[in-house]
Amino acid sequence: MDGLFDISLFASALRTVTPILLAALGGAICARVGLFNVGLEGMMLVGAFTAIVGNYLTGNIIVAVLFAMMCTLLYSLLFGYMSIHLKANVIIVGISLNFLALGLTTFSLRAIFDVKGAFYDKSMKGLPKWEIPVIKDIPYLGDILSGHSALVYLSILIVLGLQYFLFKTVTGFRLLAAGENPTAARSLGIKVSRIQYGAVLLCGVLCGLAGAQLSLGNVTMFTEGMTAGRGFIALVATMLGQSNPLGVAGASLLFGFMESLSIRLQGFALPTHFTMMVPYVVTIIAMFFFKDKSYMQEARKANESSR
Amino acid sequence: MDKVTTALRSLVQPLLAVIVGLAVGAIAIVIVGGSITETYAEMWRGAFGSFYFLTNTLTRATPIILIGLGVALAFRAGFFNMGSEGQMVLGALSAALTAIYMPGPGVVKMIAAIFAGVIAGGLWSAFAGWLDAKFRMNLLITTLLLNYIATYFAAYMVTYPFKDKTGSAAMSQTVMLGREAWLPKLFQGMTLHTGFLIAAVVTVLMFLFMKHTVKGYEIRMLGGNPLFASYGGIQRGKLMLASMFVSGGLAGLAGSIEVLGTQYRFIDGALTSPGYAWSGIMATLLAGSHPIGTAVAAILIAALQTGGMGMERNTDVPLEVSSIIQAVLILFVSAKLTYSFIKRKKAGAKNGRAL
Repeated sequence: MDGLFDISLFASALRTVTPILLAALGGAICARVGLFNVGLEGMMLVGAFTAIVGNYLTGNIIVAVLFAMMCTLLYSLLFGYMSIHLKANVIIVGISLNFLALGLTTFSLRAIFDVKGAFYDKSMKGLPKWEIPVIKDIPYLGDILSGHSALVYLSILIVLGLQYFLFKTVTGFRLLAAGENPTAARSLGIKVSRIQYGAVLLCGVLCGLAGAQLSLGNVTMFTEGMTAGRGFIALVATMLGQSNPLGVAGASLLFGFMESLSIRLQGFALPTHFTMMVPYVVTIIAMFFFKDKSYMQEARKANESSR
Repeated sequence: MDKVTTALRSLVQPLLAVIVGLAVGAIAIVIVGGSITETYAEMWRGAFGSFYFLTNTLTRATPIILIGLGVALAFRAGFFNMGSEGQMVLGALSAALTAIYMPGPGVVKMIAAIFAGVIAGGLWSAFAGWLDAKFRMNLLITTLLLNYIATYFAAYMVTYPFKDKTGSAAMSQTVMLGREAWLPKLFQGMTLHTGFLIAAVVTVLMFLFMKHTVKGYEIRMLGGNPLFASYGGIQRGKLMLASMFVSGGLAGLAGSIEVLGTQYRFIDGALTSPGYAWSGIMATLLAGSHPIGTAVAAILIAALQTGGMGMERNTDVPLEVSSIIQAVLILFVSAKLTYSFIKRKKAGAKNGRAL
């Protein structure tokens, strides 16, 4: 067991957690305005693919990330249009956008790069690793916290920023009000659907960043369906974190840690299935304790009008 | 006469959706520089072109039909059962293990395996229903979570305790079932097996059940208007458990039939990677939860998938055109839900309701 928990385990947990965390924050924002976004998986996939496309076409990593954010923004606009404007069932829109993303990215992989399965190019550079000056010299902690891509640090800032935005600013309160009780919010003159659009677009940007970290962070390549269920894990992290940025961060850390632990256990030829299962079991147990949350009711409403 | 017009009207939306889907697919084909007519012709040939391809499509449609029917039943009762995947996997695992370890002649093994699959899938699904009925834990989310738990559990079972150690391959799978427990093929040399007949019978039974029985009416009433249903003396909890059991049981049946008819063993990932569960949900959405419509939509979706494979074999157009078509179909159909929603909203306004 000695080799099981070491520094590199925690460092890898921090890396695996970032895409999940960014997408989960997007999901949380959507949940706060009453839209239960099942389409995180698809949005993330679009982000991962367009980040590679941007990188390949321009060779500039910053432009690549911005391009991914732009494309995911447009994709999330489709989600917003279908669910806010056309009032289609949010869950069905999310499911179909996941399908569309998988189809579109695999198709474009073939149409743009003329390859099947995965695209990799040696000339492409991934996100640079940052060594944080002071922290990197702290024993143990330095090895865990330093030497990650910029997006890892950005995600931590986003968590704090969102927490402040939601609970300390006027716009944040309006956003919460729009989700909590749309009718009351409307009667106060808050433009609910505009706020919902804003939340969906913000979610798109965050998912774009999540995808960019996935395809440019650890490896610099794109493979078909490379999100591999991370969007749904992010969705679960959103629920476990009660759509509270700090809570979501904690939940994502749990998921990331369990994923890294499972990879580690594989190295020891131990069964990984139960460690992989833990986050889902924890979430179900957590659901037992935290019920009557507004976004849950929203999901329930969407659920019941689904015939 | 009225019946005919309503039947025709209910066909307009899906047909329109298919046309829009094919149009978007055509755009994608043009982008990669293929010829639209030639590509769609290849797609048609891959799905229905010969007797072999037709039976192939129907084989693929079999689990999709059963899962779609299960999801449709839950939808009709007003529940979003997203857990078909886990229910199917557990059903398949139970069926495989029963068929391997059950003594007796082949028919007994086969029937016991199918029952085990139905019960395993049903109980797993009813568990989510119980959590909702008893503790008000949202069904949509729990079924989604239970999928992961079920697939990891099944993967563990075939990677460790029940792993096939006879072969040289290091695959996570059970040993092969005895040949006597296999579902017989319908035609010599074709993939189509008796499971398809089972799916067809279940479709008809489901149609009759929903339309002509008291329980079927109660389910539709619960889904249509829960308040009215409780006013009519229907116990939501009980009916929920029952309909979730049947819904999951059908997914379990799909898994068992796939094991007994096609794969002859439980292979980790062999049921999840073709996306049968999601295809089943799509079929249900496409058909608006109508049982026979769901079966037809399932065959259509299976045809898009097998046709896509045929297209990829014979042209330069990638397989994914068909997944784009599928996604557009569903997006378009969810706009149909919108249409009925607006109608309902207008009706509500007329009756003076605030919402």
